[in-house]
Amino acid sequence: SLTRQPEEVFDIICKLGEGSYGSVYKALHKESGQVLAIKQVPVDTDLQEIIKEISIMQQCDSPYVVKYYGSYFKNTDLWIVMEYCGAGSVSDIMRLRKKTLTEEEIATIVSDTLKGLEYLHLRRKIHRDIKAGNILLNSEGHAKLADFGVAGQLTDTMSKRNTVIGTPFWMAPEVIQEIGYDCVADIWSLGITALEMAEGKPPYGDIHPMRAIFMIPTKPPPSFREPDKWSPEFIDFVSVCLIKNPKERATASSLLQHIFIRNAKPSTILSQMIAEAHEIREIQSFRNLAQTNAPAVKQNANEESDDDVVGMNQNQTLIQCKDEGTLVPNKGGTLVPISQSGTFVELQSELGTMVINSDVDEQTMKRHDTGSDQVGKKYRPLFLDHFDKKEAEVKQGNGVATPATLDGPEMNLEEQQRFQSHFHLQMSPVQPLQMVQQENSPNFQRPFTDVDFEFLKFLSYEELHQRMATLDAEMEREIEELRRRYQTKRQPILDAMDTKRKRQQNF
Amino acid sequence: YLSPPRHIHYQPHSVLVPASPYLLEEIPHWLTVYFQASADLDYKLRWDMFRVNELDCYNAMLTRLYKQELEKIVMRYESYRAALLVEMEKFRDNQNNTRAVTGK
Ligand SMILES: Nc1ncnc2c1ncn2[C@@H]1O[C@H](COP(=O)(O)OP(=O)(O)OP(=O)(O)O)[C@@H](O)[C@H]1O
Ligand SMILES: [Mg+2]
Repeated sequence: SLTRQPEEVFDIICKLGEGSYGSVYKALHKESGQVLAIKQVPVDTDLQEIIKEISIMQQCDSPYVVKYYGSYFKNTDLWIVMEYCGAGSVSDIMRLRKKTLTEEEIATIVSDTLKGLEYLHLRRKIHRDIKAGNILLNSEGHAKLADFGVAGQLTDTMSKRNTVIGTPFWMAPEVIQEIGYDCVADIWSLGITALEMAEGKPPYGDIHPMRAIFMIPTKPPPSFREPDKWSPEFIDFVSVCLIKNPKERATASSLLQHIFIRNAKPSTILSQMIAEAHEIREIQSFRNLAQTNAPAVKQNANEESDDDVVGMNQNQTLIQCKDEGTLVPNKGGTLVPISQSGTFVELQSELGTMVINSDVDEQTMKRHDTGSDQVGKKYRPLFLDHFDKKEAEVKQGNGVATPATLDGPEMNLEEQQRFQSHFHLQMSPVQPLQMVQQENSPNFQRPFTDVDFEFLKFLSYEELHQRMATLDAEMEREIEELRRRYQTKRQPILDAMDTKRKRQQNF
Repeated sequence: YLSPPRHIHYQPHSVLVPASPYLLEEIPHWLTVYFQASADLDYKLRWDMFRVNELDCYNAMLTRLYKQELEKIVMRYESYRAALLVEMEKFRDNQNNTRAVTGK
């Protein structure tokens, strides 16, 4: 059937949503009458990579993983045909109901998620993008893992590539630090997702993603904002997911035996929640129709819809990340995402998905090995040293958690130093290159010149307050400036690689 | 009655995405200069003279430089934020003290 045009095979019913890479539609398979979901991804790049990804998806056959049926090319788009999950993603449901989930609901959803993860992990697949937005529910309330766009199978060839992809707030510390990771990176993300379902957003979700990236590896593991609201079983479950040292973190199989999961109720307990979300969707699409037919009603309808949801609200109000000022400037997608073939893709996910791409140089790996052989020691991954050091620090009483300051999570001096030294250890062990700091660009003024903040002493409270209010936006601007420079400087290298690869293919 | 699975089911994970080896590779000085310099002269660099795996390496190193700069920016603002908070705290303390002195 691949030879037929997809529109001959499917009827598109409506749009379900939009993601970083493309849009998702509800569709009808004409021949069978089956309802499906189709993700349309523009393909301007590395076809081979995408085809490889799809073949990985197709190998999965589990009730806890969204099924992929096949794909079609339509002009410049790739249509990925998959199982339809009528209730949408868990984050959709939270957003629609403006309500976080109860502990009971979370246990049921996390239980299915763990079964999906166990399935993947036994097959040496890491999902790498676990979050409420990638857990879909069907109409019966069964949870399924979605979005394999980023999942990779670890084979011998795979280990030569090292593609770090994820969404900063959900990313395990070892993934952020690029010190090597395995399946339990997904377990960290699951712990973060559990907190997301309980509190409406992931930890650090309301601070700038770039700050979060530097905090996740240095801060103690996050936990509940209000621990009194949750059972000891739930709190314990989250704490075993969020163990910073990956070698001590629980696996999917072991977590399925955790009391919090063993006590999970069947999917039927989700039907109320699903029905409510469904109803709100219906009302919304009805209003959208009404709006397009009668624009004058528009304002009224909007106001009403807000009231409705508030009326339904219980004590747990969902704080939408979207409304948090800090993330507004460019939706948090600050770090440059790069596809394998070198095309810049501006990620638009609400909280920003981070894509870092780097290829493994085999020589260095070997050198590393022989180096350790000479000393007569077994090769150990770098991150183990890091955690050993950490443990020693804690024993000496240096690794104590800092109390939160006024503005939420701050890094104290010690943490900054520890981070910095660690960062240099990992990122530039040989050199800290003392560069002459170039002023970035003439077209904007920094709010301060260097590390000397003496001048702040002479400001009024209002001026200080004003500076605090614009701080994130200013940092954002500098980061954007840097990002543009990085893009400019990198493009010719990518272009040269592209040309060379194409030439190689022709011979 | 809690049965925490902590440490019990521990098994060495066989699957590992290795650390990026470019984390350990020394970045050539000229690449750092290239990254910092204005783009006006960039056209003079003949990237096509390099082999693909060299380009690959420079590409990864440029990402590393980018992350280093990023870290500098974030950390600079982190200290700035901390300094602001200290000054704002002083104002609040002052206010409290004045209130205490006037007895109100
Ligand atoms: N199989 C499916 N069945 C039903 N709805 C789906 C399905 N897949 C996706 N959706 C809906 O479409 C929306 C967009 O999905 P998509 O995977 O493109 O992006 P996302 O998950 O929101 O973000 P990201 O691209 O960062 O993963 C989802 O939020 C969900 O509501
Ligand atoms: Mg998705």
